[in-house]
Amino acid sequence: MARMDPAEPDIIDRALAKNRLGVPSVVFFGVAGAAPLTVIIGAISAIYAIIGSTAVPITYLVVAGILSLFTVGFVAMSRHIVNSGAFYSYISHGLGRVIGVGAAFVALPAYSLMQIGLFGLFGSAAAGILAALGFSVPWYACALIAWAIVAVLGLLWIDLSGKVLAVLLVAEISIVLIYDLVMVANPANGQITFSTFSPAPLFTPVAGTLLVLAIAGFVGFEATVVLSEEAKDPKRTIARATHIAVLLAGLLCGISAWAMSVTTGPDRIAAVAAEHRTDLVFNLVGPHLPRAFIDIGYVLFLTSVFAALLAFHAAVARYQFALGREGVLPAAWGRTHPRTGAPLMGAVTQSVLALGVLSAYAAAGAEPLVFVFAWLTTIGGLGVLILMWAASAAVIAFFIRSRRRESVWRAYIAPFLAFLLLTVVMVATIIGFGELLQVSGDSPFQWLIPVLYLAVAAIGFVWALVMRAARPEVYAAIGRGADNRVSVLSENPITKSLHADPVGARGYPY
Amino acid sequence: MLADQYFLIAHEDRTGRSRLHPRATGLGLAAALLGELVLEGRIGITDGDLLILDRHPPSDALAHDILDLLVAQPRHRDVRTWLAFLSQDAAIRVGERLMRLGAVESVTRRRMLSTETLYMPNSAEQRNAAAWAPARLANLLVRGVGMSISDRVLIGLVAATGLTRHVLYDFEMHRHAFQSLPSAVSSLPSDLRELVEYTEASVGSVLTVGRR
Repeated sequence: MARMDPAEPDIIDRALAKNRLGVPSVVFFGVAGAAPLTVIIGAISAIYAIIGSTAVPITYLVVAGILSLFTVGFVAMSRHIVNSGAFYSYISHGLGRVIGVGAAFVALPAYSLMQIGLFGLFGSAAAGILAALGFSVPWYACALIAWAIVAVLGLLWIDLSGKVLAVLLVAEISIVLIYDLVMVANPANGQITFSTFSPAPLFTPVAGTLLVLAIAGFVGFEATVVLSEEAKDPKRTIARATHIAVLLAGLLCGISAWAMSVTTGPDRIAAVAAEHRTDLVFNLVGPHLPRAFIDIGYVLFLTSVFAALLAFHAAVARYQFALGREGVLPAAWGRTHPRTGAPLMGAVTQSVLALGVLSAYAAAGAEPLVFVFAWLTTIGGLGVLILMWAASAAVIAFFIRSRRRESVWRAYIAPFLAFLLLTVVMVATIIGFGELLQVSGDSPFQWLIPVLYLAVAAIGFVWALVMRAARPEVYAAIGRGADNRVSVLSENPITKSLHADPVGARGYPY
Repeated sequence: MLADQYFLIAHEDRTGRSRLHPRATGLGLAAALLGELVLEGRIGITDGDLLILDRHPPSDALAHDILDLLVAQPRHRDVRTWLAFLSQDAAIRVGERLMRLGAVESVTRRRMLSTETLYMPNSAEQRNAAAWAPARLANLLVRGVGMSISDRVLIGLVAATGLTRHVLYDFEMHRHAFQSLPSAVSSLPSDLRELVEYTEASVGSVLTVGRR
């Protein structure tokens, strides 16, 4: 028998690779949470309207840059820990289990609120469309219908399949590019200006608010590392796909925000956005495009928000499942439906929570776009920002202990720069948070939200210490996920040189 | 044999469908097939690696086939790689083996765009035998003694893949059995215990991703 070249994939590699994900599938998974159309139609117009700053385009590019830097170290670390699931497992690996549990307690409300906030966007958009057709339906009725569908699909653990997502995403991106082209082709006063790309406003106090709002538009890209065991080439596929997801979202949002400002003129964009809200883009391109393009845009906008709702619902349920399985939450959260694998308690909890919050808003008669969508996603965004910041610190701490054959750039320089930049963004955000929520100077909301996050983190710290005292064996498994026995890949090449492959729980052929 | 018993427990006797997420069932069957080779002394498992101990072909055709593959692919030693690889068609291969034994029959069903072949007990006799598989295991656990190594591996795999509640369905009657579960697994030889642990880890990560 002729011996095969060891570098060549053999039948095992090929058979396993057939069912694995390539770069495009992972990208689609990564941007599903932050579907571009949701961000462009929903978030960007809201930011223009609420903040009134013209620096939105450059902000998206800057955030994409910061998150790319963050991704370098994050993905490098994901190669060295198994159960590369959620931020908190990175944090518990890098900074210790006590801080890890604190991070988990921050993550739960953060992702949960982001999902509930999206219901507000969906409700108000759907109600607006129905009103245009002549039906007067309150926003919460539309939100409740979406809630019911998401709750059922979540229980059945039906995620939109990769192909459906891919088709939707390609359609979304095409329509965004068409709109952008139309807006740039019809500039205000007949000239295209690039002044909104000027970085000068980023050195003013408004920068923090802008940056956190922009970061909220990227949330979900970190989910790609969940798929590292499902990727064709865990080393390259995930890294490449995560970078592509960040840059794709950043470029699309940045260019679209710029195109909006070009067609209204940078001086008028805030006023026009405040007037039209989520209809902003459609109203801007409406006069220049056939009616059908606008209708398709509205439909895609709704499907995109719905896909984001579903993706976030699954993410929240998965987070609670992971915590339940590790014993941080009660064991009931760690059970799955035997046949579908759906994390039942996690899905039910999030649905009940969403119903409660939506009912409270409906009873209070609050405006959905500002108080549900903008408020909740901003509050959730702050939580995710805190998590990213802690994760970037965890990456540094992880590689300081051992570089693990990663390059100096990936192990030290990029994580350090990312940590520095995220610290600046976070401090600026916390200082300006009241402004972000548009509350008056003496309102408790000026300082309440960051304090609440600090409080839940503190509860997490205490809970971790209680666990360490009462159940040390459970405490030892925190952040180790499915592999509570084998936690870190063996890094010593000498003892394992008997075998051609790196050995360990995640030892798929590299 | 181990994989046969696991197959009968993991599939509904009336419809032939998997009781678990199909990928979890596949991993359980793959682990059972590797477990058969360990029990026959052909392979060993240490620190997550498979080692060939004895190249003599086992009497069972499927076990022979898998051992040949393990011998022919020395590059791949990782248990989880082999679990992932074998899980892809384990249900079909074990189903075929059960069919050769006369324990199940193959049934082809038309689905929306394709057809699927299920291996399920069809006669009253076959159904009785299939229903006996989980009942026998529950009885063993309730008594708590006299379990062979093979039975304890089966118990470990049932627990690792999430079938415990199907086997021990009656809380009152089986309360004692739940307590004897951990000791049944922890008293296994180290390579079989590792096999069970890696199966549990693989099932966990497959379910976390939630992909078909």
